Parts: sequence; structure tokens; C-alpha cells
Amino acid sequence: MLYKILIVDDEAPVRDLFEDLLKEEDCHTVACASGEEALELIKKDNFDVVLLDIKLPGMSGLEALKHIRDLNNSLPVVMITGFGYDDDLIARSKQFSCSGYIGKNMPVAQIIVTLKQFIKNAKEKGCAQ
Amino acid sequence: MVTDIKEKLPDLIENAAVAVLYLDHNGSILFCNKKAESVAGVNRVEIIGKNWLAVLFKGASSIMIKEMFKAVMEDSMGYKRAKDFQCHMSSAEGSSRLISWSINPIFNKNNQTTEGCILFGHDITEIEEREASLKNIDDSLKNIFSIIKEYTLYVINLDAKITYFGMGGEAMLGWSKSDIIFKHASILHDTNDAASNLDFILQQARLFGKYETETKLVAKNKEVIPVVLTVNHFLDPTGKLTGYVFIAKDMTEKKKLENQIFQAEKLVALGQLSAGMAHEINNPLFVISGRLGMLKNEKLSQKVKDNLALIEGQTDRIRKLVDRILQFSRKSTPVLEEINVNQAIDNVLPLVHYNKLPQAKIEIKKSFEENMPQIKGDLHQLQEVFLNILINAYQSMPTGGTINIVTSNFKNLYAQIQITDMGMGIPEDSLKDIFMPFFSTKSDGTGLGLSICQNIIKNHNGIIELESQINKGSTFTIKLPFI
Repeated sequence: MLYKILIVDDEAPVRDLFEDLLKEEDCHTVACASGEEALELIKKDNFDVVLLDIKLPGMSGLEALKHIRDLNNSLPVVMITGFGYDDDLIARSKQFSCSGYIGKNMPVAQIIVTLKQFIKNAKEKGCAQ
Repeated sequence: MVTDIKEKLPDLIENAAVAVLYLDHNGSILFCNKKAESVAGVNRVEIIGKNWLAVLFKGASSIMIKEMFKAVMEDSMGYKRAKDFQCHMSSAEGSSRLISWSINPIFNKNNQTTEGCILFGHDITEIEEREASLKNIDDSLKNIFSIIKEYTLYVINLDAKITYFGMGGEAMLGWSKSDIIFKHASILHDTNDAASNLDFILQQARLFGKYETETKLVAKNKEVIPVVLTVNHFLDPTGKLTGYVFIAKDMTEKKKLENQIFQAEKLVALGQLSAGMAHEINNPLFVISGRLGMLKNEKLSQKVKDNLALIEGQTDRIRKLVDRILQFSRKSTPVLEEINVNQAIDNVLPLVHYNKLPQAKIEIKKSFEENMPQIKGDLHQLQEVFLNILINAYQSMPTGGTINIVTSNFKNLYAQIQITDMGMGIPEDSLKDIFMPFFSTKSDGTGLGLSICQNIIKNHNGIIELESQINKGSTFTIKLPFI
């Protein structure tokens, strides 16, 4: 088992895809649909990395990131979004020390490669970038 | 009764409100009434028997009056015509009065020769003053009207003939007064516009006394000017309808502004809608392409593999389109760095070939300004603009041709980049829409390329313009300020 990954996305097909893709990469995955659930899970369990969707119902991804940083400053969090590479969203994610930013508009194979690279970097540095 | 009047006549004349003088053939004063004494500021005792010109009229005007008097006296032709003149006199109260005199010849009994004349003098000082002040008002109004350029005022009579045309009419519509006076008012009204129909406007004005409508007027050069037209009854002093007064306010500038605001609002709404839609498409698309990718690793028949490849290709097409839409809707601020425009163009030239372009032979001629100062801009964004325009230029020449790229330094103010093709050009009616999102002249275009280019150049405080002629080609001009 390579990494333990928490996937946070309100859309089940997206969560399932991430889980299936990452399992193929020999990762252990846990998935949830909201920022609130994610915070509870992070309090209880240790994850190597969190994949966090920006557009979530209720607590937004950016708010969730802020709360995660209050709990754990070194947990790698990669933001994912259907909005693509938006300067404003990237800047706000960086403000709360996200470890990476991935647009869902990227080809999937590339997303996996990038994701693995982010995780590797984050693990090596041992803290958020 | 007749005797009565004869008896009263001397009294009536003496006390008349009109100045009365009676002169003999030589101009000696025989009689002078009270009013004449008062307007001329004289005492009759001093002037009776004396020459009227000498005692009443001095100065230059006396020569003219003398000639007139002579003409009346020597009227041997028997026309019996009276003559009129006006002159200022110093009244008994010391004020200057303007008197209108008429010299009426008095003939002897056989009506052949003049015995003398009777003069009637009307004090017209107040009338003159009133007229002068009216003229002043008239002149001031004309002055005021000449300043107002965005209004045209015209009056028509009941036959719809224009009887007055003024204010900014000439500036606004190009018609001069002489072009238009006494012409039928339909000359100003656009027959293609129902709201401009003169009969209808007049009918409404007749019924309601006042009618206001948004319509169009026709300028001399046949241009149609949008106006707000107000029509009122034109009444004579007795209150009788004699025609209609039209006041037209030029709405050209307002319409232009409204249109710009409308376009801007449309773009903002379109941007928000696009971003929302793109996000909603991206999620399922991500799942589809992810699942497709996973399927490819399975052991599958060639037929399934081929089909999957097709699906993947089309999914990729949607992904790229959504990407483009997101790019368009995004307000991305340029990441500024110092850029050499020539270098930026050189960077993208090799990329043009990767974009599945027609195989026709296309030559690129460069004429670069050698001493080009650097500009501040986002290299990637600007290169995207150059690439986009170059690809358009390539695509416009399916049978080959030349693309000229000229860069120049305009007075150290801005870098000018001109990219000219010899392609099919863009129809004139499409030119105004060419930078609009989702507008495309190509069957397979998204219509976003040039609107993204325009956004990028605007974010760099620059200008992008297009000139084009059908079957001759197009020139894109980009101006980017040095700072």
C-alpha cells in the first residue's frame, strides 16, 4: 500500500473514478461528499494526502482547506476543480497552503501523473508547500 | 348733424392724440395742435408763421424731409400721394420721442395744384421699443438655438410643408434651411420606419394636442438618425391651429452608449453562464475520460479498441472546447514581464505548423523593427494571441500565399504588430462581430479565439483591430503600449 488518500467530492461518479484510478496505483482510498465529513475523517484518521474539490455544497473546498490547516499544518492537500486553471482560485488556494492544484479539464492520465508527483513531493518535504 | 361736426372739428383737432401741423405751400406753419407742441417741445406762439423745417427739424434728416416735402408740393402729376417719414424729436418733457409723420397734400378747389399740406404725427416710441426688444429676444433665441446641436426644431403648416427649420437642424441632419423650407415634411421622415410615418404622427398630434415618439429622421446624406420626436400644435394668436411644431432630440450618442453597455452586460452574463456550464460539463467529462482510460488497459477486441479510440477523440474535443470556454470567461490578470515582441512572434512561428494546417505553400515574410523597446506583458497570453491570428491567416489561404508580419515602434509610445494575409477576407457585415464570443466565419470554429485575443490585448491596455477585404485579405493590427 503506497499512500492513504482521502477523496472529497460531492459527485459520486467523480469520487468513484478517483478511487478506482488510485486503487490501480496501489493506493488506499477513503471518500466523502462534503467538507464537514472530511474534517471529521481527518480528526480520526491519518492520511498521506487529501484530494479536495473546490465547489462543494455547504462548506466550500476553500473553507474546508482553511479548517484542515487549523487542524494539521503539514497534511498535503491537493485542490481539484471543474473550473480549470483559474488564477483567482489558485491564488486563494495558495493562501491556505494547498500543496497542489489540478483542473479536471486536464487529460486523466496526466492528472494521475501530476497527482502522484504532488504526493511524492509533499511526502518528501514532509509538510505543505 | 353736419353743422354739429363742423363746429366741433377745431376742438377735436386741437385735442387729438395725434400731432397735427398745417403748412402752406412754402412750408410756413399755419396751425399746430397741442400734441404737436408737446412732441416737438415747442410753443405754438413761437413757431406759427415760421418755416417748419427750420424750427422743427434740424440736422441731417432735414434734407431728406425737405426733399420729401418738395415732392409732395410739386405733385403736378396729380397722384395726390401722401409721403411718410419717421424722426426723433425732443419732447416738452425732455425725452426723445420717435414720431411717424405723414405729409398729406391739400389741393386747391380745381384739384390741380397744391395749396399746402397737413401733417399727422403718431408717437410710435413705445411700439418701436417693443419691436426692438422683440427683435432682441429673437436674436438671442437664434443665438441660443445655434448652440443647441442635438435638437432640431421644425414647424410645418397644415399642408405638411416645412415653414421653419432651425436650431441644430443643420448640424444634426445636414439639411440647410434653403434645402428644406416649403418642402413636404415627408423629406425628413423615414418611410421604412412605422414610427416615423408622418400621417400617423400628425393624426396623433391632432387628436391629443401633443405626441411624443421614438423614431428616426432622414439626414441629407440619407443617413437615418435615431431621435425622440415631440410634436405640438402650432397656434396663431387667436388660438387657431395653423400647423405643428416638431422638436427632435438626437439619440445617436445615447443609442451608441446603450448598445455598448448592452454588449458589455451581455459579455459578463455570457462569461458567467459559460463558466457555470463549463464546470458542470467538466465533471461528467472527467468521469467519462477517466473510465475510458481505464478500459484501454483491458484486453479488448480490435473493434472495441477502435470504437473506444473514436469516443476518446470526441471526448477530447469536448474537453478542449470547454477549456476554451473557461479561458474566455476567466478574468485572468496578465503576469507581467519584460517582453521583446519580435522574439515572442519568432517563438510562435514554429508552433503554427503543428496545428493541422492546410498543406498549401505558405510563405512568411517578416519585417521587424530592429530597435524595438521591450513591453511589459504576459508572454504566454501574448503568444497565444499571435498564434491565434497566425493560424487564422493560414486557414484563410487554403491555396497558399504570403503572410506579412511587420513590427514597428510608434513614437516610443507603443509597439505595433501587423499581420497581413492574402486570404479570402471577411465580409463587411461580419467585421463588426468578429471579436464577439461564439461568432465564427469558419464551419468548425468555436468563435472564441478572437474574443479571447481581444480580452488579452485589452488586459494589456492595448488595442486590436481588423481590416479586411473580400478575396484580398485581412490585416490584424495590435498596439501594445511601452511602459
